[in-house]
Amino acid sequence: MVRTFKEFPGVEWVEKTGDFIKIDENKCIGCMNCVKVCLAGCFEMVEKKAKIKSLEKCMECASCWYVCQEEAIIFTWPSGGTGYRCDWG
Amino acid sequence: MDEEFDVIVVGAGFGGPIAAKICAEKGLKTLLLERSENVGDKVISGLTIPFYGFLFGPDFIRDGNPPFERPSDGIINYIIKDIEKGDIEIDDSLRVPKPFSPVIAFGYNTYCKPFCEWEVKKAIDAGVILKKSTTAIDVIKEDNYIRGIITDEGEYIRCKIVIDAEGSKGLLAIKAGIRKKYKPETISLADVYDYIMPKEFIDKIFGYSVKMCWGWDEQKIAPPLGYGNGLMVWPYRNSLHFMQDQCLRKNGNMVTNLTNYFKEYHRNITEKLPWWKTLVAPHAELRARMWAGFEIYVGLNKNLRIMANHTNGMILIGDAAGLESTELCDGVPAAWFSAEIAANIAIEAIKVNDTSKSFLEKYDRKIKEHPIIQWSISGKNRYNLRIAQEEHDLKKLKEYIHNGWGLGALTHFMTPFFKILLSYVYKDPTIITKWIKMFFRYFQNWLFETYDHPGEKKIKKIPSKKLRKMERRFMRFLILIDTFLKALKKIRKVFSFILVPFSNSLNNFMIKALPIIEPVYLFILKIFNPILNRLSKKILKFVENANPIVFQN
Repeated sequence: MVRTFKEFPGVEWVEKTGDFIKIDENKCIGCMNCVKVCLAGCFEMVEKKAKIKSLEKCMECASCWYVCQEEAIIFTWPSGGTGYRCDWG
Repeated sequence: MDEEFDVIVVGAGFGGPIAAKICAEKGLKTLLLERSENVGDKVISGLTIPFYGFLFGPDFIRDGNPPFERPSDGIINYIIKDIEKGDIEIDDSLRVPKPFSPVIAFGYNTYCKPFCEWEVKKAIDAGVILKKSTTAIDVIKEDNYIRGIITDEGEYIRCKIVIDAEGSKGLLAIKAGIRKKYKPETISLADVYDYIMPKEFIDKIFGYSVKMCWGWDEQKIAPPLGYGNGLMVWPYRNSLHFMQDQCLRKNGNMVTNLTNYFKEYHRNITEKLPWWKTLVAPHAELRARMWAGFEIYVGLNKNLRIMANHTNGMILIGDAAGLESTELCDGVPAAWFSAEIAANIAIEAIKVNDTSKSFLEKYDRKIKEHPIIQWSISGKNRYNLRIAQEEHDLKKLKEYIHNGWGLGALTHFMTPFFKILLSYVYKDPTIITKWIKMFFRYFQNWLFETYDHPGEKKIKKIPSKKLRKMERRFMRFLILIDTFLKALKKIRKVFSFILVPFSNSLNNFMIKALPIIEPVYLFILKIFNPILNRLSKKILKFVENANPIVFQN
């Protein structure tokens, strides 16, 4: 299945990515850095901890991983052939 | 996969296919892995590949017909002092002058996907096995050697050497223990927009020039928040590519809310910037919006710069090795150069059956000796812009812009350029004419959209005697250059006495001489503008009508 979103024209997301970004709750200090840098709005704060809302619009830029000083974010690539795709890069 | 390979290249972006192709050509069993379903699906950038990438990069690109969107003759810098009042200064000194422009290009603007596809096709033709939709999640490590990779499907694919071309995040390099995650200060997030626009308007508004915008924080346009970054607009054939980028963090400060800032900046630019508002907006339609992160200041940090780019059985190339240009934000030439060097070292290592760290050390040495790679990763003008912004120092701001993306670039580019130029001419004196033909062929390909199908050029009319005469003249001119340079090669040792110190002192010479040369040069261009324009049109007409064979190698 392929998804598109109005606010991000020209890009498609292929499903079944797997959980390629995870948050280690024990390490998260709730600094909100990941929430601030994610242009896709993948993160939300629940009880002062970052949680993954949805990775459906993630463009795998890894900004969340770079700004997480506590190493609470585990970033890997989505499964082969899934995730975003774009002809206009 | 039960098969064992000589080389596995991870990532079919700009660098990976080059390394794979060179290895396969030497008879090595080479696997190219790509995590996306189609090559180029995940490569995002705004892109002018600068001329030096084509001149000093792989032969098959220089001598081939790669697809691109528009030649670029240089940069027009807009220094935005007050966007509301339209107080904007222009520095457009870094442009190829007429009559050479637009045939002799500063670089070539291109969408990433078709270019990567073109490279991969060449690699497959050379015998490379391409495996798509496959993510390399880890390396196989045995006796402290990398012996292959592990895929997301749990496959173990073994090889003698892994060439890691996975781009700036470098997850495999971290798994292999060569690298650590970069700090957010070194990473820029690029917000990219693609606008459809009819070619006639792009020709009129942009011609062949890339537009860059720089400004103060208060303008909330570019560069945002004094992070040293800017706004770039690339003219393509029927579209504009637009990129605003920003570092994730500055000097350990708080991370800012990028979602809101990017939205605000984009709105400010498209609604307030005079040429966008009046000339572009009525004809442009948004087709795509995407973003990507890339490392920008890795080369400026000594500790990061000296990190090894190899370990037992593994070599990093391109962005995975942190070779992104710090000023142009362009990693393609360095990816090509490093891919070629890595492939040749891998071939040698496999031949002598030694893939150890100590043997592969040669790769790092060559990267450190490469004049253009080192120049491109160590430029400080973009980084310094933030100081000018923080200090509100217009003089400094203009100086850094001029030195980075104006004629001032000659004060740091001339020595590395001349050094590498000499080494190429020494190796092959006919290289100069190959370069000249490349520019002409590329331009003709662009005009007719022929690229790898030169037979499809639509010749409008039977060539006139005058045209044939021009073709003969052009070829005679090239033969003359070849003969001269071949003769020069025989006495190269004598010339080396002069040329080596000359090339070493070129930058210093330019620092002193440019303040005198530049106004004279710009004045001459202005005075002779009508004549140069006419001459440029003549050259254009020649390229348009000439037989494509004239420009083939």
